[in-house]
Amino acid sequence: MSGKVAIIGAGPSGCFLAQSLLKAAPELEVDLIDALPVPYGLVRYGVAADHQGTKAITRQFARVFERQGARFFGNVAVGRDVTLDELRAAYDAVVLAAGMSVDNRLGVPGDDLAGVYGAGRITRALYEHPDAEALPDLGPHPLIVGNGNVAIDLLRLLAKTPGELDGTDLGPAPTGWLAGSGIETITITGRSPAARAKFDPVMVKELARLTGVTIRVVEPGESDDPDEAKRLDALATIDGHGEGARAVTFRFGLTPAEVLGEAGRVTALRFTTPEGDETIACTSVLTAIGFGPAGDLPRDALIASARDAEAGALAPGLYATGWFRRGPRGTIPDNRADAQALAARILDELTADPARPGRALFDGRSGIVDYDGWCRIDTTETTAPPEGRCRAKITTRAGMARIASEGVTTA
Amino acid sequence: MKISILYGTETGNAEMLAEDIQAELEGAHDVSCENLADTDPTALDPTQLYLLVCSTYGDGELPASAQPFAEAMDSAKPDLSAIHFAIFGLGDSEYHETFNGGPKHLAELMVAHGAVQIGERVAHDASGPDMPEDLAYPWAEAVIEEVEEKLGVPA
Ligand SMILES: Cc1cc2nc3c(=O)[nH]c(=O)nc-3n(C[C@H](O)[C@H](O)[C@H](O)COP(=O)(O)OP(=O)(O)OC[C@H]3O[C@@H](n4cnc5c(N)ncnc54)[C@H](O)[C@@H]3O)c2cc1C
Ligand SMILES: Cc1cc2nc3c(=O)[nH]c(=O)nc-3n(C[C@H](O)[C@H](O)[C@H](O)COP(=O)(O)O)c2cc1C
Repeated sequence: MSGKVAIIGAGPSGCFLAQSLLKAAPELEVDLIDALPVPYGLVRYGVAADHQGTKAITRQFARVFERQGARFFGNVAVGRDVTLDELRAAYDAVVLAAGMSVDNRLGVPGDDLAGVYGAGRITRALYEHPDAEALPDLGPHPLIVGNGNVAIDLLRLLAKTPGELDGTDLGPAPTGWLAGSGIETITITGRSPAARAKFDPVMVKELARLTGVTIRVVEPGESDDPDEAKRLDALATIDGHGEGARAVTFRFGLTPAEVLGEAGRVTALRFTTPEGDETIACTSVLTAIGFGPAGDLPRDALIASARDAEAGALAPGLYATGWFRRGPRGTIPDNRADAQALAARILDELTADPARPGRALFDGRSGIVDYDGWCRIDTTETTAPPEGRCRAKITTRAGMARIASEGVTTA
Repeated sequence: MKISILYGTETGNAEMLAEDIQAELEGAHDVSCENLADTDPTALDPTQLYLLVCSTYGDGELPASAQPFAEAMDSAKPDLSAIHFAIFGLGDSEYHETFNGGPKHLAELMVAHGAVQIGERVAHDASGPDMPEDLAYPWAEAVIEEVEEKLGVPA
C-alpha cells in the first residue's frame, strides 16, 4: 500500500503510530514532524531523569527511523512554521500526536501569586527543555498539590540526595539547583482520600529507598476494595520511613480553596476538608494537577467536531492519538495500544493521491533537523558525559541546530 | 528441531528483542516468532523448542500481551510435560521488589503445568548497562546447544 502520512509530534504516540503503520504497510511514506529539534517528546522531557530504564523505549523508536524508513522533520512547529491546512493538502493523512503540555491552574484565588508553579514548568526546567523557564527558588517548605505519578516524580526528585541522582541525565544546573535547594519539608496533598489517590503503588513504594527523608502519611484511612487496598499498603510501607533531615508529609482529602500571600508571594494554601477549613503554611506551591492543550493547534474545536473522537478520527484524512486525543492521562503503554488501533483505522481509510507532494512540501526550507541531525546531537550528548551522568543534554535550540548541522562534538 | 519464539510485551521492547533473536538464529535454524496473545497454550507442539521473551508490568505482573495466555492456561490446565522451553525476562531494577516478576510468574506457570525448563531464567535490567540482545543471543545459543545435547536432535 502506498500513501503519505504526516504525524505531528514525535513523542511516544507519534512514534508508536509510525511503527504500526510501517509494520503493516512498509511502503508508506511516514513523516514525523516535531516543533523541537529532537524527537521523543516526554520520554526526553517528562519521564524522570532517575527512570532511565523507561527511556530505553527510544531504542524501538530509533528503529522506526533507521529500519522502517520513517523520516524526522525536527524544528518545525505546526501552526507557526507550517499550517495544519498546508499539511492536509500535502499528505493523504495527517495525525495530531502533539500531546498536552500546558499546566492546569489551580483555579482558586491567588493561584497567580509568585511562588505558584506548575509541574510541567518545573520538570521541563529540570530536564533542560530548550523552551523551559528558569528554575525558581522554592524556599524551604514547598507544598505539592496533586496525587498522580507526576506529583510523586516531583516529590522524589526534590527529596533525593545528590548521590541518589547518580546514573541520571540531570544537567549541572538542575543538579546544582537541587543540591542547593535548602528544602527542609515537603508536604504533598491530594483532594481524594488516600485510597483513591491516582498514583501507582510502585511509585510510592520506590520512596522507601530514599535516604535523606523522614516520611509521614497522615490518616490514610482504610478500604476493602483490592486496588484501593494496594494503594494503602504502599503508603503503609513508607509511613515512618527514614531518619533523614527532610520531612515529607502525605496529606489527603484536602481541596485547595485559596492561595494566601504577602507582598505578592505565596505564604500558605487554604484548603477545604470534610472537617472544615485548614491552612498549611508553605514557601511555594507546586501544582501537579494535569495538563491542557497548547494554543498553537485548534485542539478543542477539532475534538468537538470529530466524526469519531473516541477512535481518533477527526475529519476525513485527519486523526488524533495519544495525549492530544485522550487528554493528559495514561502511560507509555496506553499510547501504544491507542496508536495500534488508530493505525488499523488509517490503513483502512487511506486513499493515496499520487499528486500530493508529501515531504516535498519541506524542500528548500532551512533549519529543519533530520534524523541524522538528531543522531549527531545524541552522540554528542552521550559520548563523554560527566561522572555520575549518562547524558549531557544540549540545552538550547541554537546549540542543537549547530550540532545537528555540523556534527560538532563539543557541547 | 524447530524453534518458536513467543513474546509477552506491553510497550514493544520484548517484541523487538524477539524479532532480533529470530533474525539472529534464522540462518542456522527454522525459527518462528509470535505474540503470546495469539498463542493457544493447549496447542503447543512438542517438536518445537519454545523460547519465551517476556517483560514485567504493574507491580511485578505479566505484560498485557501475556495475560490472555496465562488466563487460558489457568482455565484449560493443559498438560505440557512434553514441552521444552527457556525464558528470557525483561524488567527494570527501578522496580526493586518486583524486578522481573512477569517472566518469573510465566516460568512458574509453565513448570506448574509440567513443561520442562531449559537453563536458568535470564533477567534483563532496563536500568543496567547491558543491551538485551547482548544477553539474549548467547542465551539462545546456549539453550539450543543444551537441548540438542539433551534430546540428541540436530537443530
Ligand atoms: C512529568 C511526566 C512524567 C511522566 N513519566 C512517565 C513514566 O515514567 N512512565 C510512563 O509510562 N509515562 C510517563 N508519563 C506519561 C507519558 O509521558 C505520556 O503518556 C506520553 O509522553 C504521551 O505521549 P504523546 O506522544 O501523546 O505526547 P508527548 O510525549 O507530549 O509528545 C508530543 C510531541 O509533540 C510535539 N509538538 C507539540 N506541539 C507541536 C506542534 N504544534 N508542532 C509540532 N510538534 C508539536 C512536542 O514537541 C512533543 O515532542 C509522564 C508524563 C509527564 C508529564
Ligand atoms: C508502568 C510500568 C511498570 C513496570 N513494572 C515493572 C516491575 O514491576 N518490575 C520490573 O522488573 N519491571 C517493570 N517495568 C519495566 C519493564 O518491564 C521494562 O521497561 C521492559 O523493557 C518493558 O518491555 P515491553 O516493552 O516488552 O513491555 C515496568 C515498566 C512500566 C512502564
